[in-house]
Amino acid sequence: MAEGTVTSDMSTDTTEPAVDSIARGLATYVRAVNEPSLLSQLRREGWKTFVETPMPTRKSEEWRYTDLTNFEPESFSPVTCEGERVKSISDLPAPVRAALASDRERAGVLARHNGCVEHLRLDETLQAKGVIYSPLLEAAEEHPEILEKYLFQSDVAPMEQKLWGLHAAVLSGGYLLYVPAGVQIERPVHTFRYLDEQGGVLSTHSLIIAEAGSSVTCIDEYVSPDMEQESLSLNGVEIFGSEGATVSYLALQQYGRGVKHFSMQHSNTGKDSTLNGFNVTLGADLARADVTSHLEGEGARSEMLALWFGDRDQHFDHHTLQHHEAPSAHSDLLYKGALTASSNSVFRGLIKVAEGAQLTDAYQTNRNLLLSKDASAVALPNLEIGADDVRCSHGATVGQVDDVMLFYLMSRGLDREQAERLLVFGFFDEVLGRVPGEGVRSRIRGSIEAKIQG
Amino acid sequence: MPQNEAIKGIGLDEYKYGFVTEEKPVFKAKKGLSEDIVRQISAHKEEPEWMLEFRLKALEIFYSKPLPDWGGDVASLDLDEIYYYLKPQDHMERSWDDVPDEIKTTFERLGIPEAERKILAGVGAQFESEMVYHSLKEEWTEQGIIFESIEDGLKLYPELFREHFATIVPPQDNKYAALNSAVWSGGSFVYIPKGVKVDIPLQAYFRVNSEQMGQFERTLIIVEDEAQAHYIEGCTAPSYTTDSFHSGVIEIIVKPGARFRYTTIQNWSHNMYNLVTQRAMVHENANMEWVDGNLGSKLTMKYPSCYLVGEGAHGEILSIAYASDGQHQDTGGKVVHAAPRTTSQIVSKSISRGTGRSSYRGLCKVYEGAVGSKSNVECDALLLDETSRTDTYPYIEIDENLSSIGHEASVSKVGEEQLFYLMSRGLSMEEAMTMVVRGFIEPIAKELPLEYAIELNRLEMEGSVG
Repeated sequence: MAEGTVTSDMSTDTTEPAVDSIARGLATYVRAVNEPSLLSQLRREGWKTFVETPMPTRKSEEWRYTDLTNFEPESFSPVTCEGERVKSISDLPAPVRAALASDRERAGVLARHNGCVEHLRLDETLQAKGVIYSPLLEAAEEHPEILEKYLFQSDVAPMEQKLWGLHAAVLSGGYLLYVPAGVQIERPVHTFRYLDEQGGVLSTHSLIIAEAGSSVTCIDEYVSPDMEQESLSLNGVEIFGSEGATVSYLALQQYGRGVKHFSMQHSNTGKDSTLNGFNVTLGADLARADVTSHLEGEGARSEMLALWFGDRDQHFDHHTLQHHEAPSAHSDLLYKGALTASSNSVFRGLIKVAEGAQLTDAYQTNRNLLLSKDASAVALPNLEIGADDVRCSHGATVGQVDDVMLFYLMSRGLDREQAERLLVFGFFDEVLGRVPGEGVRSRIRGSIEAKIQG
Repeated sequence: MPQNEAIKGIGLDEYKYGFVTEEKPVFKAKKGLSEDIVRQISAHKEEPEWMLEFRLKALEIFYSKPLPDWGGDVASLDLDEIYYYLKPQDHMERSWDDVPDEIKTTFERLGIPEAERKILAGVGAQFESEMVYHSLKEEWTEQGIIFESIEDGLKLYPELFREHFATIVPPQDNKYAALNSAVWSGGSFVYIPKGVKVDIPLQAYFRVNSEQMGQFERTLIIVEDEAQAHYIEGCTAPSYTTDSFHSGVIEIIVKPGARFRYTTIQNWSHNMYNLVTQRAMVHENANMEWVDGNLGSKLTMKYPSCYLVGEGAHGEILSIAYASDGQHQDTGGKVVHAAPRTTSQIVSKSISRGTGRSSYRGLCKVYEGAVGSKSNVECDALLLDETSRTDTYPYIEIDENLSSIGHEASVSKVGEEQLFYLMSRGLSMEEAMTMVVRGFIEPIAKELPLEYAIELNRLEMEGSVG
């Protein structure tokens, strides 16, 4: 069943030739004509934003190190849906099956293959408690009141709007996860996106709503083979945590070569609510993540973790914002990356303390490990502090594997490669140890290992 | 909040140099910027043709460059409302007795005569756009040290001057460097010959006086192999109601094995825009230190930089900023590692009070091939009021894996515990607050020569204790 739907009049909104072709692409993509107006309205607004906003250039601080000059969104066509929803996991693409086999402890699973949702399951006990885990299109039909309140409602920075608009316009689908007040979901809810359509654009949205006192762990996983024709992945995440709610969110990106991935994540944490956010970036040629934590309620807590390992000529760009809008909130960011071959990475983080957000506690740390001569890293840890009774600090380092440690390990009989690998894992352990679930953790370790060995 | 009341008592921002001396300029160019003005300036200074061409080229570059879209707010700075050249006197004064009375009065208030009495070696003081007072100890002249106004540097040492001028900060560098290159006037020319070690600091005291007077000082310093010296520049300007503008360019070349330190204490009045480019090229095993104090001005944008181009070069930047009501100190430092085994350190301390805002903006760049380079950056910010603001914007760009780079910053308010402890020992809130603030800036104050350290304390803290 195809989820994505576009009203055919979208191309009338624009006169720009560059975007005309993508509009035609969208028009051909229109198959399911009965998309609820809620979604088609969001597409139209997104399309308008996309058309009216100029493509960011390296002249802007936000895009200074990632060059979009040759990025032509109109050259991609929206992914299609060839298959249909399958009941059995054994019918899913092999990489998804393998990932699912690694860990059976899941409260729910959603597997997307290009344009369609091929598998969906949620524990019956949770359904009975009112938990909703549903593809966006179905949610738009069955729970429009929830989508109207939350979907695309986050406060998006001006420099993010071009791609945020495009993401909405070409939305392939996504899911709504709604956890009613007081419901605790012990095991993770795991969503897969598998992309193997050459030259396609996959645009998915994760909408996670945790009502007061509830708790949930979500894993979003992105997988593809190496692509011969370049493909594009656009991804939006919106997390809303009400009073006292706890959300753990992990994005694991393992795309193959030939993929550009843009991820825009917004968490909105209310009074005394907690978000544990985690990004793992291993794949794609270019991966950009804009991760924003809006600390909206007094006493909100946000933990932001990330790790990346770059090889060949991969370019990873992580932008973060810890926006302290309310007093007495706490945020702690730790982003660690290792780079080999001629890969490079950018970290640009900002702690912004609004006027009146007294008793803020905010920390930001970025550590980079350069493992080869041609690798390079840029770190821009920024602070903007508008209140005086705060504790804020940040630190950034760029360095290499410690010679003394290397010497010690080699003196114990390890060869250089083994010793280096141990030290890389030692470097990552601080964040890797906090990944929810042993199965996911060991798969991340395996992927890093494979990358180290080239 | 009683604490805020106590801060008011410190009197950190009472501007004591807000007096006006009636000016008697010999020549005053008309307001605004034009090719004619540039030609006039060059003609008045009787410059060689190449300098006029350089100025005109720079003016073109200035017109072609857009305003920076980062940093402080320069929107209310009207470049057409500024005098670009003002020459107060015909000739350089050699002895104090020859200095006109009004100027002398001004200097007396600034403490220059004391400095003279103490025989603080070379005192080059800048009044308006020219050096009017300049004395140099005889033995220095014997050693071959040159300490002249920049104009005399060009006249007396044309080859040495031309070889180095604008090689460190070319007009293309940024919009305000281009402006300075077009209309520069005043500043120092310093040359320390090979192997010469100067123990007593060279000092220049700057003063901008005339309302809406732009000051475009230009300083060129050449430190030859194995030489050592310390240059001190201090600025203060009277208070006026309309905005004034200062845009200097400081170029320093530190040749192999040499050591040089440049100290600035800037206390411009609170309507001054202070947009300065300060840069040093540091060669093999040479050592460059910037000590940069920013207390005054409405907006300062200044990032002293060290380009470490020779193996084993070392650069150090100590920066202190104090922003009170209506002030924005956008300061920091830049270190560029372009050679192997170069090392650098930046220490920045800022204090924001009232509606003041202090921003640290810095760059640490390591080029590929700069193996074994090490850099460490530390920024501490102190916020005194609920309305104060502080920002940190460090840029860290690393292209060499065999290097080690670190950056750390922290923001805090004056600790209740510290205050409580001091007050429990019998100090008043005001005294305790002063002590905490002094302790915070101490690492930088101790790097200053005694009389300047005292000045730093006096300028900032007068009226604070008993």
